Amino acid sequence: MKNFIRLIIVGFGLLLFISSAEAQNKESDLVTVCFKSSMDCHNCEITLNNYLKFEKGVKDLKVDLASNTIKVVYKSGKNTPENIAKGIKKKGYEANSISEDEYKKLLEAATTKQK
Amino acid sequence: MKRVIILLLIFSSVYGYSAPVKGKVLGVENSVKSILPGANIYWAGTNLGTIANKDGEYKIESIQNNNMLVFSFVGFKTDTIKWSGEEVIDAVLDKNTEIEEVTVVQKNKGAYISQINPIYTTHINGAELHKAACCNLSESFVTNPSVDVSYSDAITGAKQIKLLGLDGTYSQLQTENFPNLRGLATNYGLTYIPGPWLESIQVSKGAASVVNGYESITGQINANFKKPDAIEAFHFNLFGSAEGKSEINSNFSVKLSEKTSTAFFVHGENFQNRVDHNMDGFLDEPLMKQIHLFNQWKFYDGKGFMVHSGFHYLNEDRTGGQTAFRKDMERTILNPYGVNVGNERFEAYVKAGYDLNVKNSLAFISNVTNHKMNSYYGLNNYSGDEFTLYGNLIHTLWIDQLGVHTLNSGISMVYNKTDEMLNQSNINITEVVPGVFSEYTFKPNPKITAMAGIRSDFHNTFGTFLTPRVHLRYSLTDHLNLRVSAGKGYRAPRIVAENSFLLANYRPLKFAENEILEKAWNYGISLNQEIHLFERPLNLGAEYFRTDFENQLVVDRESSADFILLAPLDGKSYANSYQLEMRYELLPRLDILAAWRINDVKQTIGNQLVRKPLSGKYKGLFTVNYSDRLKKWMFDYTVQFNGGGRLPVVAGSPANSPTEFPAFTNMNAQITKYFRYWNLYAGAENLLDYVQDHPVLGTDRPFGNEFDATRIWGPVMGRKFYAGIRITLNHKSN
Repeated sequence: MKNFIRLIIVGFGLLLFISSAEAQNKESDLVTVCFKSSMDCHNCEITLNNYLKFEKGVKDLKVDLASNTIKVVYKSGKNTPENIAKGIKKKGYEANSISEDEYKKLLEAATTKQK
Repeated sequence: MKRVIILLLIFSSVYGYSAPVKGKVLGVENSVKSILPGANIYWAGTNLGTIANKDGEYKIESIQNNNMLVFSFVGFKTDTIKWSGEEVIDAVLDKNTEIEEVTVVQKNKGAYISQINPIYTTHINGAELHKAACCNLSESFVTNPSVDVSYSDAITGAKQIKLLGLDGTYSQLQTENFPNLRGLATNYGLTYIPGPWLESIQVSKGAASVVNGYESITGQINANFKKPDAIEAFHFNLFGSAEGKSEINSNFSVKLSEKTSTAFFVHGENFQNRVDHNMDGFLDEPLMKQIHLFNQWKFYDGKGFMVHSGFHYLNEDRTGGQTAFRKDMERTILNPYGVNVGNERFEAYVKAGYDLNVKNSLAFISNVTNHKMNSYYGLNNYSGDEFTLYGNLIHTLWIDQLGVHTLNSGISMVYNKTDEMLNQSNINITEVVPGVFSEYTFKPNPKITAMAGIRSDFHNTFGTFLTPRVHLRYSLTDHLNLRVSAGKGYRAPRIVAENSFLLANYRPLKFAENEILEKAWNYGISLNQEIHLFERPLNLGAEYFRTDFENQLVVDRESSADFILLAPLDGKSYANSYQLEMRYELLPRLDILAAWRINDVKQTIGNQLVRKPLSGKYKGLFTVNYSDRLKKWMFDYTVQFNGGGRLPVVAGSPANSPTEFPAFTNMNAQITKYFRYWNLYAGAENLLDYVQDHPVLGTDRPFGNEFDATRIWGPVMGRKFYAGIRITLNHKSN
């Protein structure tokens, strides 16, 4: 019984942590930048994803091979669109800045195709 | 489908338009082909693609300026095929066992159950291996509901696994898909496979394929090492525990050319602190040193010829017993009690595969091992020298292009010479076992896989015996798989080598024969369903396995107070295992696993059918894994509920001696923080600090007739804090 209580306590602790972690991402001072890129393999997607997520201030990220797009959300003041683009180019891929609307269209086009 | 066509029409104006390409997408897993419904097919570098239908068929419009067609499917290697105007292109994708799986963008499922394999198989990949401190294979199973890991005695630190409630010796341990770590290595074999070297582990339950021999009875555990041609170029791992144990693991690979690559692996561990938390005068954990070197080579000519070879060297030394014991002391009953086990092992293996043509391929596997062991347990001396040569030649025939009929057949050879010396007596065994086998797989459609195999082995001592095994997988619905299996298995145990830890007790081992042949049937049925609940996968499993022994080596530590009897089974012996399992992503990126298993293991000991001693009645497992959105943090929590069981009661014990051991709970937790090229982890094992009372009996007179360090049912080491670092550098892609 004692163990069961401990189990519940640990479980609650974890839930609390998760909800606070999720809440953090809802802050309003976030900047979103989108790019059209030139990935040609699944590994490229992985490489870019693993590289970009550790760029300064990055809070959310979506690297998509099918639509060849990259979306990066970072904390304002921590990074710049130019620096993110530089990071993508450093790994050997194009980084053509596009608007969020264009990004959504490209992504949608690519995902509809998959269905 | 309609949408695809409309989209293709829209895009066709941009890219131009010509004839369509069609074909089938198949996958190969364990040399069995199967259809891959839902595989992705697209033109390289474009958004133009389609998805294979439920029969694995696809049709895609061709486009101008692009002739590279990409085929991909989760769990399989992506293949790019050049199109030069053919009407039909069939793609056959290989099972992906590369490190790639570990780093996929989405949240990675650390463990999954194969949907197409007719044998119930759980794949454990790098992501799952990160969940535990994972110093060696034995610790890799902490988050696995099917495998139990326990100590075999309180002194040597040897760990044993149980599959389907039965001892690990009944499941065949393999590395790189060939049998390994048998005989003298049985007791410590799991600790000879460092976790950080591993790419993946496969645990299959029930009757296994006959291709790898007759030995597996309850299942197979296969460990695959990282490959030299994989994406990882360099890995370094350093681990330390609060008690003072340190471990170092490193591997790096070099691509010598397009075709040839090599990798070097190093493992070292050291523990020299004398720790005795329970103050019984005996070390909780043995002092130990281990060094293990491994060099691996891979050659692939790109046209169907592959060679893969490796060399292992291992040296270890374990010292346990009373805290005051030193290795340089003379071993008499006037000095403290000590145990020392020294192992030295050399192994070389080669695997070669050649695709003769579209329908035929040949594979050859061979390994040669020499294992030397020197040990003493108090006044008992035990040493052994084992030489093994193993060879297996497999011919795969795909009777038709689409993999409806597949035939695997071949010949094998095992030569094993073991010379052991227990105190004054010599045990010399030579085994020569040539064998032939054939296994037929039938896949008329994606719903059914049927497999039937038989092998015949010609043993120099036990004569000819047949090993039949059958498997059936049937999809009742798209995501509900039913599996049924039945099969026979045999084993010729090394009686002393496998039970050498029993020497850490006052009674001598008594056995009439040096060689016996264990025989058992195993039957299993399982249901596995994968559904989506709130758009997240929910995996439910239910299974039942039964093992029936016709002959078995029974360890009788109850009938006599004067000796432990190791004798062939006289009567019934069986094990029933019932398991329920659920895996679900409860919240985004929060995975839970809950499982419950009931073990009903009975053996005839001293003419009575009784519950197998020191074996828990049930096991429950609950694990939680959470990672944040970008997977920079990962949290793992595992709790195991271990059922109580029967204690062996020696004839003539006082009437009030305990006959049962209690249920106990074990908890582990770990936090991992990822950085771009490295990650840090810290955690605790046995958080509740639960240890078995009196792991060593008769501590005040270790040379007297109450001493027993082998009556182990629970943890012998308490709470253990640890931390480590892993550094990983990848080869530049492309």
